[in-house]
Amino acid sequence: MESVIEFKLPALGENIEQGDLVRLMIAPGAAVSEGQAVMELETDKAVVEVPSSVSGTVKEILVKEGDKIKVGQVVFTADNNGAATVVTENRRPEPTVADVAKPQPPASKQPESQPAPQRTRSTDVPAASEFRLQELGENISQGDLVRLMIAPGAKVSEGQPVMELETDKAVVEVPSSVTGIVNEVKVKEGEKIKVGQVIFTLQGAGSSQAEMTRPQSQPVEHVSGQHGARLAFQAAIRAEGKTEEQALPPDQPMPRPAAFSMPIQLGKVAGTEHREAVPAAPHTRRLARELGVDIYEVKGTGPGGRISEDDVKAHAKAALTAIASAAQAPPRAGHFIAPKLPDFAKWGKIERVSMRGVRRKTAEHLAESWNTIPHVTQHDRADITELEHLRARFAPKAEQAGGKMTVTAIALKVCAAALKVFPQFNATIDMEQEEIIYKQYIHIGVAADTDRGLLVPVIRDVDKKNIVELAVELSQISQKARDKKITVADMEGGTFTITNLGGIGGTAFTPIVNHPEVAILGLSRSRMEPEWIGGKFEPRLILPLSLSYDHRLIDGADAARFLRWVAEAFEQPFLLSVQG
Amino acid sequence: MNEHPNQTLNGNPEVTQRLRIAVVGGGPGGYAAAFLAADLGMQVTLIDPEVNPGGVCLYRGCIPSKALLHVAKLVEESQQAKNWGVDFPPAKIDLARLRTWKESVVKKLTGGLGQLSKQRHVEYIQGRAAFENSTTLRISKTDSAEVVLSFDRIILATGSRPAIIPALKLDSPRMMDSTAALNLEDIPGSLLVVGGGYIGLELGSVYAALGTRVTVVEMLPGLLPGADRDLVLPLHKRLEKKFETILLSTTVASLKEDGAGIRATFEGASVQGKDREELFDRVLVSVGRKPNSEIAGLETTQVRVNSRGFIEVNKQLQTADPYIYAIGDVVGEPMLAHKASHEGRVAAESITGHKVAFEPNAIPAVVFTDPEVAWCGLTETQAEKENREIKVAKFPWGASGRAITLDRPEGMTKLLVDPQTERVLGVGIVGAGAGELIAEGVLAIEMAALAGDVAMTIHPHPTLSETVMESAEVFFGTSTDVFRPKRG
Ligand SMILES: Cc1cc2nc3c(=O)[nH]c(=O)nc-3n(C[C@H](O)[C@H](O)[C@H](O)COP(=O)(O)OP(=O)(O)OC[C@H]3O[C@@H](n4cnc5c(N)ncnc54)[C@H](O)[C@@H]3O)c2cc1C
Repeated sequence: MESVIEFKLPALGENIEQGDLVRLMIAPGAAVSEGQAVMELETDKAVVEVPSSVSGTVKEILVKEGDKIKVGQVVFTADNNGAATVVTENRRPEPTVADVAKPQPPASKQPESQPAPQRTRSTDVPAASEFRLQELGENISQGDLVRLMIAPGAKVSEGQPVMELETDKAVVEVPSSVTGIVNEVKVKEGEKIKVGQVIFTLQGAGSSQAEMTRPQSQPVEHVSGQHGARLAFQAAIRAEGKTEEQALPPDQPMPRPAAFSMPIQLGKVAGTEHREAVPAAPHTRRLARELGVDIYEVKGTGPGGRISEDDVKAHAKAALTAIASAAQAPPRAGHFIAPKLPDFAKWGKIERVSMRGVRRKTAEHLAESWNTIPHVTQHDRADITELEHLRARFAPKAEQAGGKMTVTAIALKVCAAALKVFPQFNATIDMEQEEIIYKQYIHIGVAADTDRGLLVPVIRDVDKKNIVELAVELSQISQKARDKKITVADMEGGTFTITNLGGIGGTAFTPIVNHPEVAILGLSRSRMEPEWIGGKFEPRLILPLSLSYDHRLIDGADAARFLRWVAEAFEQPFLLSVQG
Repeated sequence: MNEHPNQTLNGNPEVTQRLRIAVVGGGPGGYAAAFLAADLGMQVTLIDPEVNPGGVCLYRGCIPSKALLHVAKLVEESQQAKNWGVDFPPAKIDLARLRTWKESVVKKLTGGLGQLSKQRHVEYIQGRAAFENSTTLRISKTDSAEVVLSFDRIILATGSRPAIIPALKLDSPRMMDSTAALNLEDIPGSLLVVGGGYIGLELGSVYAALGTRVTVVEMLPGLLPGADRDLVLPLHKRLEKKFETILLSTTVASLKEDGAGIRATFEGASVQGKDREELFDRVLVSVGRKPNSEIAGLETTQVRVNSRGFIEVNKQLQTADPYIYAIGDVVGEPMLAHKASHEGRVAAESITGHKVAFEPNAIPAVVFTDPEVAWCGLTETQAEKENREIKVAKFPWGASGRAITLDRPEGMTKLLVDPQTERVLGVGIVGAGAGELIAEGVLAIEMAALAGDVAMTIHPHPTLSETVMESAEVFFGTSTDVFRPKRG
């Protein structure tokens, strides 16, 4: 018999109601069998592979990669090829990609297995007149009775804890599955009790309500007698002249009395999950921890796979490069997935052109910058009315030398001076070594708009050159860029970048920091604006400044100070000669 | 609520101001943590009920027991000397003098720790601590004054105490736990040791050497449960001669005060058909140790205690309460002094913000009986359980020159080696001085040494340490002193 069945997203775990579909592993027509992984889902906690709970041939897939999928949502339908498979909704997928281990304090574990719910209606069986020990969990057939919580004559109701039992695995509170008044208690503290054994009987069996045997109420693990013990301890230490041993209450029966055993594998310590001994010396393991490297992932190159400090460093470096290139590499399952694009052809004619050369590089590099650097942009404005005079004065000199005295050339000089005063803007963050690299040289990149796209030639030792020299060099290198003669070396080694869009227009913008630099200055179009000076408005030439910076290294206040310094330098050009 | 300046709740504090640290419990875990914390620049308070730091280990554990075992060994060697042509008269024991000597050893060491605390400016408070909240302790001082102090972090090192089984709880001066046994009140004619673990065997050996007839009863089928059987065998053989009886697979059904002594009833394999009752002058119960996690006021914190009574910690020894760390016996097995100290140092470093973890590759265990039994890393028992393929190379001490000169040829040294990488995974030694020899094994495992590294390291001759090198040579089938051609 053929029938169509649905596979719905099963419960994924506590408090997880949905996930992002990262990867589909099936297609219509594919055969799928129960247990087979059909998709990868990213939840808040981890990326998990979700196994199918059905078998058959996939008919229709109702979700797509990138979708948010809710628990219970239909993922696909399948033709059940006559196989008697049931849709189970409550299977938990095994997370196969483990979450990064967080140093969370160990939580007390819940009993792992749960007895299958049996629903036996009272109409089917006579009302319970006694309470027997229900199943406690897999492979647990008995336990030591640590504490009884009921006595003859006491009222018990379903779900109420009636005793504490110590099993091999834990101390559990056992809840009653019956309601009534206790007649006779058939067990004593200290006894071993087997599953199925009668614990107590009820008065006038079945007298009260119709009871149900419902063993699905779960035993609850808890810390046995802690509170009582503490109170007794407190009392005892107040009493004088008692030793610690005397002061403490007698111990609860141990799971295996009269046996004192050394732990078999002494590397195993309670409270820490056990891992194989790793072939690395203690010092090497410490280095790995300090670099944030999981030593178990490092491949040892020494004899017998021994891991050296160099192996750890190489691993750390490789991991870092991998992270850096992750932004460039095609998206992998799990992280930074560009959302899938719709089919634009649906709405009209399109043309697809492969993204090569400068455009692709720019895309990759800017994405990397954007992904690694927490950006903030600070805006300010500089009154350059005075500066215009200076520019006019230097213009002929520059022209003579073969350059052009532009605002950008002056900005180079201003920024070089500012970078000397604020060295953290001339730095790089080394997250791997947890260090800040301060550069003792000032090489400033200048973004150039060419017909090949955005290029950033670098002018070296800006602080050591005068404005005329800078104007000349800037003109030359810009020409080189436009003539496509610029080399990679010409664009390397920058410590700061200036981008001037003033030639085009705009009042402000938010440039992206040119990683691994930590700041970039954007210039917009300067225009005449009324300024309130000495009790009246005066026409002044105002240059808008936008400074984007890496907030990991640079605090907002410092950025504001830096930009103010730059603005003032533009306003009072003589400052440059004094401080720069 | 408490103010916590200079710190974030979950991370580590910025050490802009000196951190105030309290260490509760002055055992090997507590004082190691306190001293390192002080060395790292923290302001440390150490709290313990004794006059000086030392804890169980120095006052009523490792140290006094080893002092007495040293004497026991001397007594036995003096008797064995007859075989070597030196005849001593039977030893006469001056119990008071022996006790004084043992106490002087304890005093010397604990006094030294007191000195070290002072030199490091660790504030030592003799008293008992209870929690007011996660960062505040109420300390009942021994001079009956009470102080309430607040700290940035608290390290719990409250240790453990002898476990008492209700069935064996008998209010009688003849009943002893390890603490009482170390007090050496008298030399009983007969002693029943309940529990064949290391504490029972060590203390049983002391009393046997002093002249007591010792019976050991163990519920499991072998002594030193958990240790590899081939390591236990030579010890078992020797103890059979020293002890009156060793009852295995047997439990004590009841203990009753009976005028002249304590009447014990046994149940189990070794007593079938025999008399099930016996009278003893004294009974030593050594059935394990319980963690001291019932600290007053602990319920006002986030600290979690598991069902076996151990405080739950992560690899940084931090409890579920971010302000509280715990170390030593109170956090779990193995309950050994050197594990406690190492954890103490990790906790102190972790608090200062170092990225550390308690993740040893090997923790040595030593049983100071005669012969001594020592092991570290992987055991054969464990490998079997995990179905793990290993190669075992054994060097019998009968082939060791040094062992023969000592007239102690019954020992054995073995290496557990990974057949693929030839890496040393475990070391087991039984024999005189095994406890000192095992340290080399721990180093080999921690350094990921290969059997070849051990074999090619020159060991001094004639010493017992050569047996470690020679067992590595056995692995390659090239031992100088054992001819065992390589198979296949
Ligand atoms: C007979 C015997 C022999 C042993 N031999 C060895 C051996 O050879 N080698 C070995 O490694 N181990 C040995 N041990 C085990 C060793 O003693 C322990 O592992 C070790 O002492 C644990 O150290 P610790 O710091 O965790 O705690 P402990 O040494 O137990 O110290 C805890 C201290 O905290 C104090 N304390 C408890 N509660 C409070 C409170 N609320 N306020 C203030 N103080 C408190 C206690 O009084 C105690 O002084 C032996 C133990 C025994 C009993």
